[in-house]
Amino acid sequence: MSKLNETDIQGFVLRGYNMPFARYLFLHFDDALLAAALVHRLMREITTGQRWDTGKPQSTVNIAFTHRGLAALNLPDATLLSFPVEFQQGMKKRAAILGDTGRNAPDQWDELWREDQVHAWLGVNASTPEALNARCADMVSIMRETKGAILLAAQDAASLVFNGVPTTKEHFGYTDGFGNPDYLGVERSSQPGQGKLMPDGKWAPLATGELLLGYADEAGELPVAPVPHILASNGTFMVYRKLHQNLATFRTYLEEHAPLYSGGKEKLASKFIGRWRDGTPIELSPDHPDESITQDPSRSTNFTYSADPEGTRCPVGAHVRRVNPRDAFGFDGKLINRRRITRRGLPYGPSAAEDEPASDADDRGVIFIALNANISRQFEFVQQQWINYGNDARLGNEKDMLLGNHATGKGRFVVQGDATPTNPPFICGNLPNFVELRGGDYFFLPSITALGMIGMGLVDPR
Amino acid sequence: MSNINGKVYAMNVVTPMKPWKTWLLRTLFFALWNIKPLQKDLINLSFIEFARWVIIPRSRFPFLAHGQARENLQYDYLLFFSNFNGTWNQYIDAFSSVLSRGLNLIWRWSEKFPGSVPVTPFKEYIAQVQFDTDYYYTAYPYATANDLKAAHIVQASLDQLAQQANTSDPKQFADAYLHFVLQVQSHLGNTGEAPLVS
Repeated sequence: MSKLNETDIQGFVLRGYNMPFARYLFLHFDDALLAAALVHRLMREITTGQRWDTGKPQSTVNIAFTHRGLAALNLPDATLLSFPVEFQQGMKKRAAILGDTGRNAPDQWDELWREDQVHAWLGVNASTPEALNARCADMVSIMRETKGAILLAAQDAASLVFNGVPTTKEHFGYTDGFGNPDYLGVERSSQPGQGKLMPDGKWAPLATGELLLGYADEAGELPVAPVPHILASNGTFMVYRKLHQNLATFRTYLEEHAPLYSGGKEKLASKFIGRWRDGTPIELSPDHPDESITQDPSRSTNFTYSADPEGTRCPVGAHVRRVNPRDAFGFDGKLINRRRITRRGLPYGPSAAEDEPASDADDRGVIFIALNANISRQFEFVQQQWINYGNDARLGNEKDMLLGNHATGKGRFVVQGDATPTNPPFICGNLPNFVELRGGDYFFLPSITALGMIGMGLVDPR
Repeated sequence: MSNINGKVYAMNVVTPMKPWKTWLLRTLFFALWNIKPLQKDLINLSFIEFARWVIIPRSRFPFLAHGQARENLQYDYLLFFSNFNGTWNQYIDAFSSVLSRGLNLIWRWSEKFPGSVPVTPFKEYIAQVQFDTDYYYTAYPYATANDLKAAHIVQASLDQLAQQANTSDPKQFADAYLHFVLQVQSHLGNTGEAPLVS
């Protein structure tokens, strides 16, 4: 396949910008015509997937809309009704499917998400806080000049800084952001382990239609997309979730259980997620972190589970094994290729080093952003079947240790082991909720062409 | 009254075949039945409890009493019956992505079968020829096939441990206990409610 039309695709879809600062602005439209004029004006601000031949910019801007937002922009009913059901409903109505109940239920969310006010997401990424503030100020003045939108709220996110050094860590101390898939036609420096597994053991890019609308997917079909085709093509769907992290609970749980586990605290922490906290996959290095692996792109994601069916190295229920099971279900991984998502987003809230105090009440966590062509088949399936349920991993009703909604407080995580003294079998019981949902929604992230159609009121479903 | 009972789904699919094609399928079933490796993929799909295809010739339909009018059927029929865990969509997706060749061999003799790839026409076909379940009993609605297999492993290991415990000293028991934990450690998932069908 030739490369994609990069100037028509929002840059946020094709690449992680690798910028340490972000602010996500949430917009509300009161007047359809003024809102459309704003979208039209914003078109020249939007960062596309075009390569940065003249060097990386200081900041980027991208935009996406909820279904309510597209309705507020007066898109034709025939178009609005042609969107997939889960997108039309929005995340809140999907709570029961997603397991967003109890402390994760919509009535516990931040006020922003409780009232169905959010019509658009404007994502600004930047290299420095100054560039971020300047670009956001530009955005606010464009909104003011055009009177096209009300700014409801802003969510800051940023790489965590430890000892003065920006990192790719999240608040629990794990290095994040390894496993994004490769797609046909998307130009990026790929590495083994990032696409789909082939019968010969090599890795190949996934079909473009697993990420973008308008291209063939892994089933050889065009993804289900709204009409007209030109509105959908080169666009995708974005899942936004504000995931609060109970850092004190996590630390206490780890401290209380580590003395009972003869592999030690760091090894126990690595078993929860499937990587040592520096990012070393425990499938490759079960006994110690290994910088030579994390620094080597040909190794850091290059592993499978078929030689470890019992989970002796990487527990069957470890987070990375659950959400990207690779070949763990057999069939050369064919059962998972249509469940892959692309991760964007950053942590939010103040960092707290291991020796610094932390409370669950502190406002910190991860802004989880996932991109996929089919929310129901990809994100929702992973969330429902692999995070809050365990049958595919042969774990019955057991949930993901870190992300699962252990509402009963009776959740369990089994660390499979062997007969060696530093790798014994170990069972973690009475799991608390380490992570809680504070809000979010489903967004449509259109192509540049589609933004033009929306901005000029030219969406014609025929 | 429903295809779904807890974690288990019962699927009935009936498709017509031109009678001259039936013997081709019979030959194929004979081969499949006798060449076990051909069944491997179906068996390895861990969420399938049961799957069977049966040919019902047009002359062999039940004739219950003389009050029943004799039917003059033009087609033989293929009945597919399966019990599985998970959703309908998940099941058909998996069938299409890992068993497409085998399914095509079996169903290609049926009228208007579109092929198992791409998956959307295949799903539309199954939806057309599927008959909803009138009565369905499952002994363990809160368990999947994996849960049942796991329970058997845990029970057998526990029985063995209990037997050994009667005669072992503390050191022997410690060894036996470790052996037991290693045997059961990846089979400890619990039963419970199924996720909501979306």
